[in-house]
Amino acid sequence: MMVLEDLEVNGEEGSKMEIELKEKNENEIVFIIRNAEVPFVNAIRRIAMMEIPKIAIEDVNIVKNDSTMFDEVLAHRLGLTPLFSNLEVIEGLVMSEDCDCDDHCPRCSVSLTLNKTGPENKEDIKVVYSKDLSSTDSKIKPVYDTIPLLKLKKDQDVELEAVAKLGFGKNHAKWIPTTVCSYKQYPKITFNEDLEVDYECAEACPRGILKTDKRSKKIKVNNIENCSMCKSCVRASENDYINVGYEKNNFIFRLETDGSMDPEEVLLKACDVLSEKAEKFITFCKGGKV
Amino acid sequence: MIPVRCISCGKPISAFFDEYQLRIAEKEDSKVILDEMGIKRYCCRRMLISHVETWE
Ligand code: SF4
Ligand SMILES: [Zn+2]
Ligand SMILES: [Zn+2]
Repeated sequence: MMVLEDLEVNGEEGSKMEIELKEKNENEIVFIIRNAEVPFVNAIRRIAMMEIPKIAIEDVNIVKNDSTMFDEVLAHRLGLTPLFSNLEVIEGLVMSEDCDCDDHCPRCSVSLTLNKTGPENKEDIKVVYSKDLSSTDSKIKPVYDTIPLLKLKKDQDVELEAVAKLGFGKNHAKWIPTTVCSYKQYPKITFNEDLEVDYECAEACPRGILKTDKRSKKIKVNNIENCSMCKSCVRASENDYINVGYEKNNFIFRLETDGSMDPEEVLLKACDVLSEKAEKFITFCKGGKV
Repeated sequence: MIPVRCISCGKPISAFFDEYQLRIAEKEDSKVILDEMGIKRYCCRRMLISHVETWE
């Protein structure tokens, strides 16, 4: 049997991967990865969406629902409501499959209750919001207070218990921590200096990336990272003055979460999961037990 | 009722629905409101712009 040696994994031969942070705020990070390869970057992307444990409402026990909304629809809305699932918040919780209880217990789930009565007046309509969900765990609660769940009229009540469990995005979209999680290769715009300058192509850019500079008889490129590589400019050009391509091993990665986790946390966890998988693979190839 | 999340990308846009409605009622410009609320993608923007409340 072939024994694999430990190889250092690099992108392009002889060059180390580099990461540069571009933008960062509460729910979103944008960064540039240099000297990496598509399979690697794509693995990170897929794991960030599909294999990060997150908490979401899984079972709803409806005691009373007088509203005109069907029970199923209400349960679906509750499921999609994002709950805080930062790593420190969900620490100690286990996946319900790995728990030894029958259905659910405090070790593998958190329960939230919703108890609301309709308005006093016949004409009024009362909207029940996500903030009306009261949780048994003070940290695991809806991220947004203002998500409308259902509407009640006079003499209508709603009473339910919702059980939130850990899960993976590959099983249901409500467990996907990211909204946008995507990369594109770094755009590369080149001009054929031998040909006559074609100002038409600058006009055609829908994102205003190309600017004509009549004085120096050139087209200037600003904020190239915003280029969507739509090639409108190439199509508008009569000659082959402009060419739009991409840098094969450089990527712009954008990761936005639904608020339930910090984007860095999602990324870190994705890297952990990937290295765990790689570790398993190596052990398997060396003939070890996985 | 407005869907909880954007159908295309999953952003919880319903959280901004009340604010959007209120400001629209005050004759503010839709573009300005959406920009200020940080709803950037057109998939999310159409969720709020095109929503018709049929459930009363
Ligand atoms: S490819 Fe599209 S976005 Fe990029 S410079 Fe050309 S027209 Fe503008
Ligand atoms: Zn349990
Ligand atoms: Zn969207």
